[in-house]
Amino acid sequence: MKATRVFQLTALALVLVSTVEVGWWLLDQHRFAVDKVREMHQVYAQQVIAAQALLAAGTPADRVHALLPDVIVTNQHAALSPDVDRQLLAEEHRHIAQYAWEGSFFIIALAACIAVIARALRAEARVMQEQESFLALVSHQFKTPLASLQLSLETMAMRPLSPEHSRALIDRMLADLARMEGMVTQILESMRLERGRIELRKEPVDLGGAVARVVAGFEERAGKDRIVVSSDIEAGLQVLADPLALDVILRNLLENALAAVAPVGGGTIVFTGRRTRGEIELAVRDSGVGFRPGDAPRLFQKFSRLHPGGGGSHFGTGLGLYIVGRLMQLAGGRVSAQSEGVGQGATFVLAWPASETQQAASAGAGGVEPLARQPAGREHS
Amino acid sequence: MTEPRNPPAQQARRILVVEDDPHLAAGVVENLRAEGYAVESVADGRHALEWLAGGSCGLVVLDVMLPEIDGFTVCRTLRERGDNTPVLFLTARGDPADRVRGLEAGGDDYLAKPFHLRELLLRVRAILRRWDWYQSASEAEGAVLRFGGNEVDFRAFRARSWNGIAQELTEKEAMILKVLAERPGEIVSREDLLERVWGYDVFPSTRTVDNFILRLRKRFERDPANPRHFLTVWGVGYRFMSEDAT
Repeated sequence: MKATRVFQLTALALVLVSTVEVGWWLLDQHRFAVDKVREMHQVYAQQVIAAQALLAAGTPADRVHALLPDVIVTNQHAALSPDVDRQLLAEEHRHIAQYAWEGSFFIIALAACIAVIARALRAEARVMQEQESFLALVSHQFKTPLASLQLSLETMAMRPLSPEHSRALIDRMLADLARMEGMVTQILESMRLERGRIELRKEPVDLGGAVARVVAGFEERAGKDRIVVSSDIEAGLQVLADPLALDVILRNLLENALAAVAPVGGGTIVFTGRRTRGEIELAVRDSGVGFRPGDAPRLFQKFSRLHPGGGGSHFGTGLGLYIVGRLMQLAGGRVSAQSEGVGQGATFVLAWPASETQQAASAGAGGVEPLARQPAGREHS
Repeated sequence: MTEPRNPPAQQARRILVVEDDPHLAAGVVENLRAEGYAVESVADGRHALEWLAGGSCGLVVLDVMLPEIDGFTVCRTLRERGDNTPVLFLTARGDPADRVRGLEAGGDDYLAKPFHLRELLLRVRAILRRWDWYQSASEAEGAVLRFGGNEVDFRAFRARSWNGIAQELTEKEAMILKVLAERPGEIVSREDLLERVWGYDVFPSTRTVDNFILRLRKRFERDPANPRHFLTVWGVGYRFMSEDAT
């Protein structure tokens, strides 16, 4: 990286020197052309003087003109032909124009080289800065669970504890380890997404089934925090998506919702799926801490955390929603977030383009189809 | 500026922990309670300021990266309110620039995460001990110091300088003045001042002490360029003269 940078900087310096050289060459050529024309004028002036001397010596005017064709004689007075003046001026202009064109071409070519190299240097500096801030943020994210882990271990080593207290500390340490493992997974996922190393398949996936599987995995955690998770998705509603990516998206959205609801002492999370004209929409509505409407765009940025670590016993890394946003982007879909304000809960809406058959079904049903409630909306408490 | 607030003696062993990470907060609270302190805990800067507006404590253990209002702002707001409650910062950022930023915001000490439990307890004890000393010294030896036409009220952190101008002292200025005034005419080394006022390893250099002495001279000397009360003993430290040193 360093060698490349040195090479780029050297190339930039050479190109800059070359540009100065070309500029100097242009000026020099202009001066040369002007000098040459001035010299020619002096030569012709000598001819006029010679012609005048011949005339004074009695040489006939036609003989003088024959000897010096660029001189004309009028009433025994020698003068330079106006054609010669015009030719000299034209020659001067021709040379200057030629140098201007050639010089401009070189200067434009060199300026383009400078722009390309400078752009590459700027891009490289930006990448380096992003890498540095990414590392700083990642290390910051890890320091808090590490501090908690160290504190729990040192507490166990330093103090006599009841079996219940020891058990609680062990649970806390296990949760800290799980948190760090989750962070590693999310960081790796986000890095792969960033480098475009993920290729997503597109196949029909049953949305209700995918939501149910993810919700089942969080049943125990939701119950512990007094959170009721329910789904309200039309039976047979399908999206064209990569099943694994969809699982990651739903898992991250549910984790985000749980982290938002836990600090307010419990509440609800509702998944609703519907078919609209041209899209399949899945909304995740929670009754949690919410956010200021102006903060919505920030939510999908890396390491953005708008509420305190999820409260309760759950934590955010600030990468979950970033991953959701990127995966939806790669899948050709979109994601948006809305909240009325802090304390007002939040709704995250995912939308995938519907396949042709789905669109036909939607059109047949008359545009926006009212949600068909699932006979037994799955609830977790 | 509101009425200055200092931790009352009976609240000196009450500690407020401001930390948004529930596990870390629980660990700190449990250990401080096990040491005999009365501990309260809040999870963000706004609640911390609300709590401190209504209650008082001997120390605030304050995380820097807090939601809504960060720890530095919380500390600065406290100082602007005239609240001199000592603050120990806990933060994941431990570089010197951040450390200095925290202390400039009015913090008393700074501990980078992850930290050792014993170090946390040691620092908490050291801060409280410094405050105990300051308060008991202010009460036992008289809360008011008079020298060269200046008058300093240690309890109120206020002073009136020789030209009649009212001065609001920062906690550190008052503590430095107190350490010097305890030993009039004696040489007090920079290291001694650092240890008594900040703790042994908080600041990267003893230059900080020099800066504070300059500030005291500007406040209380008739001619700060030719001091008569805060005298430099080259290469060692400072000597405080309550009478004019001519």
